Amino acid sequence: MSRIFGRALLLILAAAACAAISNFTASRERKMAWVGAYPRALDVSPVSESASGPAAEPPPPASTAPAASAAVASPAPSASASASGSPPGATPAGAKAFPPHPDRAFVEIGTDDAETLFKQGRLFLDARRSSVYADGHVSGARSFPVWESDIADRVKAFYEEGLDQNAPIVVYCSGGDCEDSHMLAEKLYMVGFNNLLVDRDGFPAWQKRGLPVTKGVKP
Amino acid sequence: MSWFTHPWLTIRVQIGLGAIFAVAALPKIGDPPSFAHMIYNYRVVPAFAVNALALVMPWVELLAGLALILGVWRRESAAVVGLMLLVFIAAIGFNLARGHAVDCGCFDVHSAGKTREQLLTDMRWVVVRDLGILLMVAQVLVSSRKGERLSAR
Repeated sequence: MSRIFGRALLLILAAAACAAISNFTASRERKMAWVGAYPRALDVSPVSESASGPAAEPPPPASTAPAASAAVASPAPSASASASGSPPGATPAGAKAFPPHPDRAFVEIGTDDAETLFKQGRLFLDARRSSVYADGHVSGARSFPVWESDIADRVKAFYEEGLDQNAPIVVYCSGGDCEDSHMLAEKLYMVGFNNLLVDRDGFPAWQKRGLPVTKGVKP
Repeated sequence: MSWFTHPWLTIRVQIGLGAIFAVAALPKIGDPPSFAHMIYNYRVVPAFAVNALALVMPWVELLAGLALILGVWRRESAAVVGLMLLVFIAAIGFNLARGHAVDCGCFDVHSAGKTREQLLTDMRWVVVRDLGILLMVAQVLVSSRKGERLSAR
């Protein structure tokens, strides 16, 4: 019996050695850190509830008269946005405002809001795998594959670019149950970004609506 | 029950069992981050162990599978494979019980984009399938024990 245990253990150790060699020689997209950091590893509750609290929805709809109230409620974001060198006309009068939310990691938005933000020239980040990104992504979106080994380096480099931390940043993945965008938003929130907007419908809905898509590894 | 431990059956079950695990291992070895994502989705593995499990488990499947195909260390390999099956059944069963739908990630590391209902149906079938494979493990274990006794004579 002890021989069985010994050999079984040897088999598992051999597998671990193979895994170590395989991971060591793997390409950047295939490599993984041995110890991962997943705050929700044992949590099955819907991601929007756990991270955003009861008020998960973004501020009231744009159609009626939000410009005035939004401006009163949050004068800071538009001021900081215009001061940060974002594209000219980024926050035109009457447009829906997306004020920063330093108290929670992200706010979920839909494709309508994502389209509005795209037209404002806001930054989009793609949380999906780099191979999926290359197959097609939101035009101008940068690749931040949360499941690949160099994500921490990418987040650090992104932070060091010194972008305005209160300007809206749209994060997306594949919609539906996909939580990669939420994970990425959490990581960016941890380094200080205060206005992360998760497009809960993700790339499939974007593509379905015929919005601008780019293929290849470049944004 | 002599037919159950018949060598004719054992050799076929053993190679079949080995092939199932060797084939299942390949896509996981090819793309560990996707497999880690699958494991994460089960929400039963602590955060620190997700990546390590995703890296090592496919290699255990491959080595045990190859050993079964080649007929070396078959009791040990069958025991390891059986243990893994019990863990898979427990993980799927636990998620079925709490209504948490997951992609199996057994032979494929990419989500097929199925609905919750489809996934839950699939999970029930996976439990049945794994129980069937567990029967294969039992066959190899029982008949190899008999073989050992015979050879020890």
